[in-house]
Amino acid sequence: MRSRTRPALIATVLLAAFCLVAGRPLVAQTQIDSLLDGNSLEDLWVHLNARDWEDLHTHFQENTYYPADVEWRGVRVRNAAIRVRGVTSRNGHKPSFRLDFNRYVTGQTFFGLDALTLDSSWQDPSMITNRLAMLLFRQMGIAAPRVAHVRLFAGAEREYVGVYAVTEEVVESFLRDRFGEDTGYLYEFNHLENDNWGFQDPGPRLGWYVPRFSPKTHEFESVANLYMPIRDLVQRINDAPQSDLESRLGGYLDVNAFITQLAIQNFVAQSDGLVGGVGANNFYLYRFAGKNLFVLIPWDQGNAFTASDLPPSYNMNTNVLALKIWNDPKYRAQYLATLLQIADLVSTDSWLLTEAQRDYQQIRDAVYADAFAPYSLTQFEEMHATVQQFIRTRPDIVRQYIAAMQ
Amino acid sequence: MRSCPPRVVFTWACALAVLLWAATAPALAQVKLSFDKRPSMKAGNLLTAGIRFKAQVDFRDFPDEPETPSKPVVDLPRTRIGVEGRLMREFDYQIEGELSDASQPWRDIFIQTRSFRLLQVRAGQFKIPFSLEQLTSGMDLDFNYRSLAASFLAPGRDVGLMVFGRAVNETLRYQAGVFKHGGDNVRESERTDAQADRTYAGRLVVRPWNTYDNLFRTFSAGVAFTTGVLPAGPNGVRGKTIPGDTFFQQLFVNGNRRRIGGEFQWRPGPVQLQGEYIETRDQRFGQGIENQDLPNAYARGWYASGVWLLTGGQMRDSIAPDRPFLRGGIGAIEIGVRRERLAAWSPGVNDGSFSSPRAPWVMPRADDVWTAGVNWFWNPFVKLQANVIHERRTEDGRVLVSQGNLWSQVFRVQLGF
Repeated sequence: MRSRTRPALIATVLLAAFCLVAGRPLVAQTQIDSLLDGNSLEDLWVHLNARDWEDLHTHFQENTYYPADVEWRGVRVRNAAIRVRGVTSRNGHKPSFRLDFNRYVTGQTFFGLDALTLDSSWQDPSMITNRLAMLLFRQMGIAAPRVAHVRLFAGAEREYVGVYAVTEEVVESFLRDRFGEDTGYLYEFNHLENDNWGFQDPGPRLGWYVPRFSPKTHEFESVANLYMPIRDLVQRINDAPQSDLESRLGGYLDVNAFITQLAIQNFVAQSDGLVGGVGANNFYLYRFAGKNLFVLIPWDQGNAFTASDLPPSYNMNTNVLALKIWNDPKYRAQYLATLLQIADLVSTDSWLLTEAQRDYQQIRDAVYADAFAPYSLTQFEEMHATVQQFIRTRPDIVRQYIAAMQ
Repeated sequence: MRSCPPRVVFTWACALAVLLWAATAPALAQVKLSFDKRPSMKAGNLLTAGIRFKAQVDFRDFPDEPETPSKPVVDLPRTRIGVEGRLMREFDYQIEGELSDASQPWRDIFIQTRSFRLLQVRAGQFKIPFSLEQLTSGMDLDFNYRSLAASFLAPGRDVGLMVFGRAVNETLRYQAGVFKHGGDNVRESERTDAQADRTYAGRLVVRPWNTYDNLFRTFSAGVAFTTGVLPAGPNGVRGKTIPGDTFFQQLFVNGNRRRIGGEFQWRPGPVQLQGEYIETRDQRFGQGIENQDLPNAYARGWYASGVWLLTGGQMRDSIAPDRPFLRGGIGAIEIGVRRERLAAWSPGVNDGSFSSPRAPWVMPRADDVWTAGVNWFWNPFVKLQANVIHERRTEDGRVLVSQGNLWSQVFRVQLGF
């Protein structure tokens, strides 16, 4: 009897130990999912010194990090860091923040995430357009950050400082989750004022790329290592004949994914994306480890869901690759088909409208109590009405445009 | 941003010099120029002025470390030009600027009395009297770099007023002063945006056997202190590694900064033994995440070094070979070794929050360094220095990953007069 139960006991203990170790990331993943899936309005408490909170507002133009603890559902993650973030939306009234969990402790995460952004939605009175756009990207199979809303509390006195959109940052933890690797080369694209760059070949000088593509991994590698592959990609895009993009860019850029991203941004009328009015903007670029293959990762789609009558051809001539796609019958057909696919997806069971209405209900009371909201409650209500009307009408408008072209 | 004290001092010094020059124009008729050790000018008993020039070029090989930027092989740590001399027999003065520092080029700008050795007064911008090695000219160092303790824990230069003197047949030397801020070593930005307020400093050095003719005649030992007001902010002392990367966080502090130091030096014949101990304590009132008071922050550094002048002669501050290289001799050669440590921590209970600049308990970090070097003095003006440096960095007693065995090599060509 004894000899028969002992192996079973050992096996049980080993299994339990395995589950404990192997299950840890799963538990963290499940927990962070409940923060980022947007099913509920969560409370996030940033513990930080009162002087630092004041400095974050008075010195909002600086990227100085301040130490903070971050508490969610009673779990407090120590030694995090917080700084103000944003470009045109930077402000000292209700700044957006970046939370970095491994700045002071190498390898530390917040339930599996290296970093989070807290977006004050300074330019979006509805506060939901970025979340809706990112939902659509993910539904269409594009790796895009998750966005949800939180009520943010700050300081030792737990002061309520407003509703924020909490966004999964495009960092190593994002890469691991989406691509199963994090050792490639990640860049954040910086749009320079009056640049209007849409993948045009700027010439062989690598220095041109340096201010536009900030490395987020391998930061200390040489300029040649960091930027020669991007230069090669841009040159290939410019050199490739429009009728044969796939074979000429194969191994460098997934043309099909690029077409999908173009279509999504056109559908949601994102005016500051790949074919925005000021050139390409709001994307990350990731080169897979040991490969020349790049992928574009969308970021900050907050300028969407307003111009519901945007034609499919809008601004396609501002981007070298977009123009080649538009000018070639085969790729244009693929682009238009993707637009119709998105229209059908959005219309099905009013899926996106339901999300918009749910988001509105979820954040409404918290926004009404937000003393730092940068816009009036009337603007908030009007923008929500606009977004919902956009979602109702946009699919048919897109279908009509495409029907008229065929 | 506060005003720029060095420029104010320099303006006043220039104005004073012009006034003196104009008031004593007749004496200018007696101006004599000489080019002995350096270009010099003497105007009777009114004024002497000697041009000083200091230049160093380093060729460096630092270890590749992850998450740190690579360092240029060639570095120019000093390119300085200055004037020093005497005014009306009663005052010594010095003006020195760093040519490679466009933002704050002025280094020493001071005037001092010279009549009474027992009580002299110095005013202007100069080094706060703390740390033997920090007070040693960068041209006279036994190794390429000052010890980490002298580099980062000693206060450096500031604008102030100091009394100093020698007593009892030079058995006793003292310095005491008050300074506008806390010295430019605390932060690189200290010169433009001071982070510490008024600081008091004192240093006392005794040479007990100075009047005796025995082996211990050159032995000296001293103590020093500084105390100053520390405004709230991320103004804790900085600590860097040999290659110059940040080694410990600048903690948020508020209250008072206190330094204590001890030193000794002994030069029996061609050998020099030297050592120092420096400890800083920063208060952290109201600096916690929850605005609570935090335990004091401490940094401690020490070194012990030995240098041997192989070619013989008495060891001095500045080595001038009896038989210069290429002029019938080989110059002077000395070898040395130094062991040092720099550490920082905050006492308290390990509550897991040890890594941020507002953490109650700061996990002890230490950099243990060995340096071996050889110096070749061609003549009074040219010196070649080569150092091999080994670092071992630890946190809470454990060696940091891939930082337990780091080697650096530095070769320096130095020219000065």
